[in-house]
Amino acid sequence: MNCHVMNMVCLSQRSQAKFRIILPILILIAVELVHPTMSCKNEKCSQLLHRSLKLTRLMSKRSADLLETYKASQGDSADLICDMQMDNVPVSTISGQTMSERILSVYTHLKEFLPHMKTVMEQQKDLNPPINPVVEGLHSMITHVHHIAQRVNCILQILQPNIPIPEPAERSTGIPPAQNIFQQKAYGCIVLSRLQELLSQAVQEQKSLKGKMCKQRTKNGSL
Amino acid sequence: MGSSHHLLVFLMFLHYAVGFTYNCVKILPDSSSSIVVEVGKNFTATCHLLEGCAYTSDDIEWRLGNLSIAKQSYHRINETAVSVTINISSDMSDWLKCTAPKESLSYKPRSIYGIFLRAGYPPLKPKNLSCIAVQEDKDISPNLSCSWDPGSRNPLIDTTYTVYANVPGTVLTHKADCKQHLARFCVVNLETFPIHMVLKVWVEVKNALGSERSELQSDSSYFAKPNPPLNVQVLTEDKFPTSLVVTWKHPIDRTILKLSYAIRYRKVTSNVWIEVPESFTRGYIESFRLQSLEPYTQYVVQMRCIGESNSSYWSNWSPSVTERTTEAKPASAPDLWRIIRPTSNSRNVTLIWKAPVKANGKIRFYNLSINQNNEKFESHNITADNLSQMYSMELPAGKMASIEITAYNSAGESPKATLSIPRSDKELPGVKDMSWSVRDEKLQVKWTAVLPLPHPLKLSEYLLEWVKIPQSVHQKELPAGWQRVPKNVTVTTLNAGLEKFKRYNISVYPIYKYQPGHVWHFQPGRPVTRPAYVQQGPPKEGPTVTVTKSKKNSAELTWEETPLDSHQGFIIHYTIFYAIGNTKQWKSETVGPNVHSYVLTDLASETDYVVYVMASTEAGSVKGTDCTFKTMKYGDGEVEVIVVVVCLSFLFLTVFIIMICLRKREVIKKLLWPQVPDPSDSSIAHWSPDFPIKADLPKEDVSVVEVDVFDGKSLCEEDKGVLPLKKDKYLSEEHSSGIGGSSCMSSPRHSVSDSDEGDSGQTTSSTVQYSTVLGSGYKGQTPSHQPPAFARSESTQPLLDCEEHPDHLNESQSRSSYFRRGRELEPGVLAPECDGGSLTFCPVQEEEPSPVAEEPPASALCYMPQKSGYRPQ
Repeated sequence: MNCHVMNMVCLSQRSQAKFRIILPILILIAVELVHPTMSCKNEKCSQLLHRSLKLTRLMSKRSADLLETYKASQGDSADLICDMQMDNVPVSTISGQTMSERILSVYTHLKEFLPHMKTVMEQQKDLNPPINPVVEGLHSMITHVHHIAQRVNCILQILQPNIPIPEPAERSTGIPPAQNIFQQKAYGCIVLSRLQELLSQAVQEQKSLKGKMCKQRTKNGSL
Repeated sequence: MGSSHHLLVFLMFLHYAVGFTYNCVKILPDSSSSIVVEVGKNFTATCHLLEGCAYTSDDIEWRLGNLSIAKQSYHRINETAVSVTINISSDMSDWLKCTAPKESLSYKPRSIYGIFLRAGYPPLKPKNLSCIAVQEDKDISPNLSCSWDPGSRNPLIDTTYTVYANVPGTVLTHKADCKQHLARFCVVNLETFPIHMVLKVWVEVKNALGSERSELQSDSSYFAKPNPPLNVQVLTEDKFPTSLVVTWKHPIDRTILKLSYAIRYRKVTSNVWIEVPESFTRGYIESFRLQSLEPYTQYVVQMRCIGESNSSYWSNWSPSVTERTTEAKPASAPDLWRIIRPTSNSRNVTLIWKAPVKANGKIRFYNLSINQNNEKFESHNITADNLSQMYSMELPAGKMASIEITAYNSAGESPKATLSIPRSDKELPGVKDMSWSVRDEKLQVKWTAVLPLPHPLKLSEYLLEWVKIPQSVHQKELPAGWQRVPKNVTVTTLNAGLEKFKRYNISVYPIYKYQPGHVWHFQPGRPVTRPAYVQQGPPKEGPTVTVTKSKKNSAELTWEETPLDSHQGFIIHYTIFYAIGNTKQWKSETVGPNVHSYVLTDLASETDYVVYVMASTEAGSVKGTDCTFKTMKYGDGEVEVIVVVVCLSFLFLTVFIIMICLRKREVIKKLLWPQVPDPSDSSIAHWSPDFPIKADLPKEDVSVVEVDVFDGKSLCEEDKGVLPLKKDKYLSEEHSSGIGGSSCMSSPRHSVSDSDEGDSGQTTSSTVQYSTVLGSGYKGQTPSHQPPAFARSESTQPLLDCEEHPDHLNESQSRSSYFRRGRELEPGVLAPECDGGSLTFCPVQEEEPSPVAEEPPASALCYMPQKSGYRPQ
């Protein structure tokens, strides 16, 4: 009986030991999959910042164009629906005191906007023909916002290399519940408006990094 | 039924999958599908005998396809297993079989097992992978076109190519399967082109023998290919004839791809592009000024763009834009020349010129100034819109002229060109010798350099002139051209577009220069001229030959020289071809090019000949038109000789006849005037009429017939045939003697008698009576001196011919021959004429009826018997 118990204990200990070995590997793989941090090392700091800024500036401009296209496709009440207030849409205000905090805020907000953009795109697919300029623009915008987020993540890694970057919780701001068509239109307009504001601010935040971030890194002796 | 069918199929499949299950042999390795083996590698298979099998390993035999594998490749592992090792080649895709053959007369079944080998190569690594995403509208296309070099080796087995693309750091990877065999091109859709991101693209090639992969990773802009610059324009500026401004628009927003530009340009007349250095157009600019261009010259401009710092593919070149720079003052003088044609007491000088080489614009007009003997003679502004720029003037032989010409365009005037024409007797020496040859269908002219002339004359250059001949009257353009070559050159090729088969006179002039003041004067020397062809051909037409003289055995031919324009080359000789009629047996004679007539000899007389002349150049010959002629039957003088001989012969004959006539005069006379029998000599008995013979009747008045001549003319002088019948009648009525008979002198048509008259009783129709016999003889015959008397002849002497014929006699009944010797009638008047005529009725003079007719004198009328026929009278 003891022996059985002993065996069971032994088996339990062996399993735990194996788990301790495998778990870090799995975590490492998961991290590698989720956090594309490794790709950041392939680019120089200035190049990274430059391309990130260019991409953000381009998307800021395109988001403005997309908003116009969106308004034009929603009918006569476009201006009215865009003036509505909705609580469950992420704000575009950048917060934080330090450079890193503000960039982190940009990153967090970009991540928060992604599910909302997807929701608007799905709603627009239902409201309009599946292939229309708004849907195409949103689809492209989602990809590019992903890319901006990735760039900003790299910037964050440069700014605070030793601090893990917190990922915003999935659906943290919440997707609005079932809406009628009017609400959907208003929701889409508000999302795009705030996204455009966010991207504009992101441009400004990254501009502010020019001459600071990479110089600092150069002084530190890396990149 | 259905389930049993499925079961049967399943069993068949199982049988196939497991192999020859009824056999007691099995091959390892084994597979339900074909076994892929690499070419060049060794492959080993082992054949096992299963338990209970009656065979031993010695019975095992390996076969590849239908061929047995050599025993040396076998390796006996133990009693039940034998392996074989083969080196795989590319053609070994076949069944590898292990057999245990059935022995003869054995009950043991035959065992066999096989596996299918498929030979192939592992894939090669794709080389030169490149991917490109072109610009679409204002964005970059998400379709990434990738291409690579798969290598030339055929893997022989199924091989797949797959292109992957992703943005590092993201989980999403796009892929595209390339379906083609040995694919070298594939398009992967990225959905959204990742602007300003790193893009990783790789192509993976896989088959059963392995896999290979080629990879590209770069900023996404390196995969982008922008459109060419938009709205490229080229602008001119009035005050800058050597520059052009190029403007354009960015084809894509700088936030997507910041571009730099490249500009290239060339002259319209050139194929060589000049590219503006990239450093000049590196910035994000939208205009550029091209400088150091030539005025009034058309340029073609193109542009392309590339991502800043060569961060993308180059775009294609934009469409060409052509623009002309503005005008500037002509930078060189016109090319002035002259053509001098001497006239009787002067010289016709045609001044010709070409526009300045560096006209720098459109020449509007020329200012031509002519001085004669250093005095201003005339000045003209000649518009430049004429195709042929020329001016003609007369220059006396004893005068010299100096010509100046200046060209003008909208920007100003050109430098001045001068040319001197000396007096006729003061020409400067020319080159010593000149020759030409044809090279590469162009004329190459060679000459001997002139000797140096004393100061201040200096040799400036040579001028080669070509003039097309013959000059057409209707030719609008001057058929002359010229070309200047430096003074140290003595061989050059004419750059003129000389026409083939046309004759040109090529002249070489040395051009001398001297400086009497501060301006150089140019004066040509004496030319040396040669005719030339850039290419000769056969003549267009042959000469037309004519025969100017044709004789018995020769003929002189003449032909005109054909027009010079139709020569098409230098005539080297003429060939005369001639043949008899249609015999086609041509003979030929060849004569020189300057001969235009020829005498053919040794021809056959009175024969038709065909002749033509063929003109020949070194490039060929052409025949002229045929000409036919006939040689004469007689030679020169032959006809004259014959005529003379014939004439002489005739003359001699005539003389001979005359001589004979003269000699045989009497004979002829007798023939012409046969002797009439003299009735006086007849033996006829004397017949006495009722009346007595009058002795006093003059003999010479005795006549039987009195024939009156009405108008004193002889009937023979008038138309005897139209003798009035009246007269005959009259004669018959009034002068009928009533004596029957006839005479050969009578003619039936003139012996019309009127039988109704009463005197018919005086004639007898049944008996022949002789009429009165002329006492004085007949027709000049000497009559006998017998007394005339009427006598009825009873002579049987044959009468004249006509008297012998009864029919004549019948007629003679009504006729009367009247013989009368009229006293008034001269015998010589009537007789000769009658003599010359036929022996027919002869008219006589009409007289008053004589009583003799009614009452013939008895003395004269008598018939004498004539026994002995005719006797000579």
